Amino acid sequence: MKFGIFFELSVPRPWTPGAERAVYENAMEQARLADELGFDWVWAVEHHFLEEYSHCPAPEVFLAAVAAQTTRIRVGHGVVVCVPQMNHPVRAAERAAVLDIVSGGRLEFGTGRSSTWTELGGFQADPDETKKTWDEYVRVIPKMWTEERFSWEGRAFSMPERAVLPKPIQQPHPPMWVAVTSPGTELDAADRGLGCLGVASAGYEEQERRTQEYHRRIQQCDPVGDVVTDMVTTLNFLYCHEDAAIAGERGRSFQAAFGLANAHLLFTREAYATTAYELLGNLVPSPRRAEAGSPGAERNLPEGTAIGDPDWCIEQIKGWESIGVDGINFLTNGLEALPQDQVLESMRLFAREVMPRFRPR
Amino acid sequence: MYTGTKPVAELAARAPRMPTLDVDALALPSVEILTVTYEVRADVNEAMLPAGLHPTIPPIVTFVVWRAETFSMAQVRIGCRSGMRPRAFLVSAVVDGDAGPPLAERWGFATRPGTVTLERSYDRLRATVDDTLDVEVVDPVPLRPNDIQWIANMNLADTPRGLRLVQVDADYEVYRAERGRPRLAAFDAAAWSEPLLEPVYPVVATFAVADITLPRLRYVCRPEELAFFATEPATGA
Repeated sequence: MKFGIFFELSVPRPWTPGAERAVYENAMEQARLADELGFDWVWAVEHHFLEEYSHCPAPEVFLAAVAAQTTRIRVGHGVVVCVPQMNHPVRAAERAAVLDIVSGGRLEFGTGRSSTWTELGGFQADPDETKKTWDEYVRVIPKMWTEERFSWEGRAFSMPERAVLPKPIQQPHPPMWVAVTSPGTELDAADRGLGCLGVASAGYEEQERRTQEYHRRIQQCDPVGDVVTDMVTTLNFLYCHEDAAIAGERGRSFQAAFGLANAHLLFTREAYATTAYELLGNLVPSPRRAEAGSPGAERNLPEGTAIGDPDWCIEQIKGWESIGVDGINFLTNGLEALPQDQVLESMRLFAREVMPRFRPR
Repeated sequence: MYTGTKPVAELAARAPRMPTLDVDALALPSVEILTVTYEVRADVNEAMLPAGLHPTIPPIVTFVVWRAETFSMAQVRIGCRSGMRPRAFLVSAVVDGDAGPPLAERWGFATRPGTVTLERSYDRLRATVDDTLDVEVVDPVPLRPNDIQWIANMNLADTPRGLRLVQVDADYEVYRAERGRPRLAAFDAAAWSEPLLEPVYPVVATFAVADITLPRLRYVCRPEELAFFATEPATGA
């Protein structure tokens, strides 16, 4: 089981001078600590216009800074939005290659297509097209990285022959992932040999079904690149404290703040009738709550949430491990609801008491 | 965190009287539904919602026109959140026919009488409401029936428990769905009771035919408090 931290870089109002900088500095401090503690990944999103929820439109810049301040942890684009109005595929390939170089070959390349009208509408992108352009991007970007010169005539873009430079350090190229929100995207991932980067919550039962199908299907994949990333990760909240009551109180506070900020966004399906988006983004019903009478029910948390004392966190993660999940990425704070020292304490305790239970001895 | 800032006292004037929250469902077969969505000016968005609702980012307005067997109704609704749930706050409605009073008394639709038209030509569908609204779905193309999402209404009404946001989550059995470009030829915001409402950017327009069931009421909310604390079962509490 691998572990990562996942940054949306949410900034609560009021947006006083220095507020955004403080959020970025806190995140970088968490990334440095995660590097020291043995976390495997630090991921950063690409989002645009998402007031409060995410002020992270240029993850490659943030991740370059993280890479410069760390030595071991892998840096993940979580994700590059594969929509021409937001990112030309050549620019996406170039920026990723530079990040792979400056990080010393530590890049994980996540891909996606955006789920909000807030973003797609802002860039005047056609929601009907995003799945198609994503599919084109994930097929051409590995070619840009591995072929000396590249030319293309496609749906999203065309270009005459050029050398797309630089090339990434990792050979043949960095691992590739796709963000999975809508049911069925895990199948798109499997068919293309891409890692399944879970970015929306699902309960154990639903995640088990998706994970099993993914692992079965990827065995027959037609990879879009020269590397198959056969991994499923999920997104979770992390607050670990020796006192379960304190953990619950603090963890629920940032989970609720984060959820409410997320709920303000205008998801594509709500605004724009389309076949291309099946769900109301993250406004779908929350994963199943723990059964009445169980410890989870008392905590009022979705099942599998890593908010609790170390034993509780171990139990939840074992649950994910038992259904075939390969890694968990954690949101460690939301809208700065927790002071930084509490976030760092939680990460340290998690690394000391929980992570060793999932590492080879 | 954004929440509405409109004083409920100002909204109360347009809240219809509901003598009871215990109402039977009503089936409306084969209703033609035209919906046009625009983004609206963001800087006044909070000022159009009560404190119990959150604006969306960006804010939107939906113009919804139903042509049922015995009446037509046009609604102007502002997209919002009640807690974390997607909802649409009813600004006001116009009803053509005798259905206005029962729609107001049973589901809290703030209606006034008027003339609502819905015309179909080969390349567009057009809805008008007197001289206060003129919207079109231009160049419609077919969608799958479940591709259109209608969000439940929050209708402010004067109920036996006092002013409440009444959640009306109508059920839709869709037979036909189309999508086109939106066109807003005329909109008199003041005539619809919200002079601040200014559509500024077109999003989408749809047309559908569906059986609609106006439901038994499940939940109401106190309009000045957040839904997490202010949601009540409509009946039996």
